[in-house]
Amino acid sequence: MSLLSIKNIQKSFDGVEVLKGISFDVNKGDVVSILGPSGSGKTTLLRCINFLENADSGQMVFDKAEYDLKEISKKQILSIQKKTGFVFQNYNLFRNKNVLDNVTLGLTSARKVPRDAADRKAMDMLDRVGMADYAKQYPSQLSGGQQQRVAIARALATDPEIIYFDEPTSALDPQLTGEVLTVMRQLASDGMTMLVVTHEMSFARDVSNRVIFMDKGVVAESGTPEEFFNNPKEERTREFLRMEENAR
Amino acid sequence: MQNVWKVIADSFPVLMYRGLTMTIPLTLISFAIALVIAIIVALVQFSKIPVLREICRFYIWVIRGTPLLVQLYVIFFGLPSVGVNVEAFPAAVLVFSINEGAYAAETIRGALESVPAGQMEAGRCVGMNYGQIMWHVIMPQTFRTAFPALGNELISMVKDTSLAANITVTEMFFQAQRIAGRTYQTMALYLEVAVIYLLFSTLISLLQRFGEKKLGAYGRQ
Ligand SMILES: Nc1ncnc2c1ncn2[C@@H]1O[C@H](COP(=O)(O)OP(=O)(O)OP(=O)(O)O)[C@@H](O)[C@H]1O
Ligand SMILES: [Mg+2]
Repeated sequence: MSLLSIKNIQKSFDGVEVLKGISFDVNKGDVVSILGPSGSGKTTLLRCINFLENADSGQMVFDKAEYDLKEISKKQILSIQKKTGFVFQNYNLFRNKNVLDNVTLGLTSARKVPRDAADRKAMDMLDRVGMADYAKQYPSQLSGGQQQRVAIARALATDPEIIYFDEPTSALDPQLTGEVLTVMRQLASDGMTMLVVTHEMSFARDVSNRVIFMDKGVVAESGTPEEFFNNPKEERTREFLRMEENAR
Repeated sequence: MQNVWKVIADSFPVLMYRGLTMTIPLTLISFAIALVIAIIVALVQFSKIPVLREICRFYIWVIRGTPLLVQLYVIFFGLPSVGVNVEAFPAAVLVFSINEGAYAAETIRGALESVPAGQMEAGRCVGMNYGQIMWHVIMPQTFRTAFPALGNELISMVKDTSLAANITVTEMFFQAQRIAGRTYQTMALYLEVAVIYLLFSTLISLLQRFGEKKLGAYGRQ
């Protein structure tokens, strides 16, 4: 049975349909990459799945419980959000908290974990992303790559069932991209379930075990990275891959 | 006419006493109440209930669009004529806090709006509820941003409390007027009281600067 199952998610902004019925499953331990041209609805999809945006309709099965996205309650949303992590394109670290407190806040405030236990857990996570030495710094004192690694530690600290990534490296220059991708590779090999919107073809090809290709609000093609990159079925997939090839 | 230096020397402790026992408490009590009003009014303007939002906009519109002195008169002289009697000091506290509440609400609303939406979203994504995010993330950033402007409003308020003399509150300026009337040393008395107001404002702006340093800029210099 899959950890996350999405059925027929639809979402419009001001009458414009951005998600036109998206369905897919994610199993425990999966690393799923979502690819697609700009404006195809990838960010909107992740935001709907994690309730930063309200989907117009659709069903979700998460952690064995079934939800109708049109009727889901605030309480249910909060309980799902407690079991998921989210990494933003622009990090969104809490600006008024130092690195350590960024990681502990979800534990101490939302889960009432005692301060010392939360600190220990946070230091472990910061160590995992190579940021333990920066515990007392503020986000504004860090590089983009460092901020993103702290954001990953923050997402990890709450022991989520799945972490959503929305283009975690696209705000970074190539050098800093590498350090974040290394951390994500490590997570994947540790068995973390991840759903990653990315423009990094090498990550999609080498790290993920499934690729979902979105175009104009629908899933145009999905499959294993081998199938997808070596033997794409759809013409628009081939065109997208050609464009990505040329862009490099 | 009495000797000008003697008048100044004699009146100084009296004025200072009024300042410390009336002007300062009047300012601090009113400002504290104003802050509570301001936070509520600022937050309500982001609520999903249109009626509440409209009431808050109306309050801000009326208070900011009418003179403070007129507001004092309405409460202290106007209300008794329709059968509601208010003592001078409570009337002043009422007017100053309602008045400052409207201005501070706008300051706080601006500071709230300057906090990026991503801060709230990041909080939700680590499983925090609205209240927890407001308390730990949004309000501290809001307060940090609003702090310098609120400090300036506090300074204005110390000076504005002199208007309470008009509704018989025996604060510092009221006292100065009385001594001036008795001794005929008007110039000396009004300059003297001006200097004491200056002293109070300077003290607050020093505290303001100290507070800003203490609050820090979250690592930004
Ligand atoms: N809050 C919003 N209000 C109105 N329109 C929106 C909103 N968010 C997204 N859209 C529109 O929805 C469409 C899909 O946007 P989305 O950000 O999901 O695309 P994306 O696939 O993530 O693109 P990119 O690769 O550029 O990040 C776009 O046309 C966008 O303009
Ligand atoms: Mg996007």
